[in-house]
Amino acid sequence: MAEEFLLPIFIVGMLFIGLPWIILHYVSKWKTAATLTTEDENLLDGLHDLARRLDDRMATIERIIQADNPNWRALAYDPAEDALEDRSSRTRILEAAPERSNRPTRRTR
Amino acid sequence: MNSPRTRFYLDKQNAKWSGVCAGIADYTGMDVTLVRIGIVLLTILGGFPWTLIAYWIAAWMAPRKPIELYSQDREEQKFWQGVRANPRRTTRDVRSRFREIDRRLADVETYVTSSNNQLAREIEQLR
Repeated sequence: MAEEFLLPIFIVGMLFIGLPWIILHYVSKWKTAATLTTEDENLLDGLHDLARRLDDRMATIERIIQADNPNWRALAYDPAEDALEDRSSRTRILEAAPERSNRPTRRTR
Repeated sequence: MNSPRTRFYLDKQNAKWSGVCAGIADYTGMDVTLVRIGIVLLTILGGFPWTLIAYWIAAWMAPRKPIELYSQDREEQKFWQGVRANPRRTTRDVRSRFREIDRRLADVETYVTSSNNQLAREIEQLR
């Protein structure tokens, strides 16, 4: 007998309290999560566009250098390497040293 | 949610009925057909009046997609779908792209400066 009374109460409770509760919970969560103003959006749009253009330009420059000297990356990755090969010119190593010490600061930035 | 690119629109150009399903697909980046099949299945499997009511409410409340937001290429659309899903992650992605450019530029810079050194040394040897 008690179940016959309780079942409609449960269903009504779920429909009119549980369901709106869940919906409002997710609506409020969604509102707090998406905090992107119009300025942020324009800024992000500009940055995205800029990144794409810079990417293209870098690709062009790399292609030009590639055509100029196919193994330029080997030179770029270790500038001191060809300096260490001929030890006659002491200045070459000294010139290459600041570049090497400069590189880690670039990467960590 | 008032910024023009990250709000929900009715996609009238790809609409079958009111453009709600096409709008959901455009907003999230899912396939339109999958969204439609999902909604129809949901309607058949018990959500009968509620999905229709939700559809009408969405069709009534959401604005149409402005015409200037249509003329975007595929990559741009994917970018904004990513922004809608998770703005923080997209910002990190953009920052990592800038770092990548910085790294490549540093390589080029190193190469150019070192090749100039090489040239100077060869001139030195010719003397």
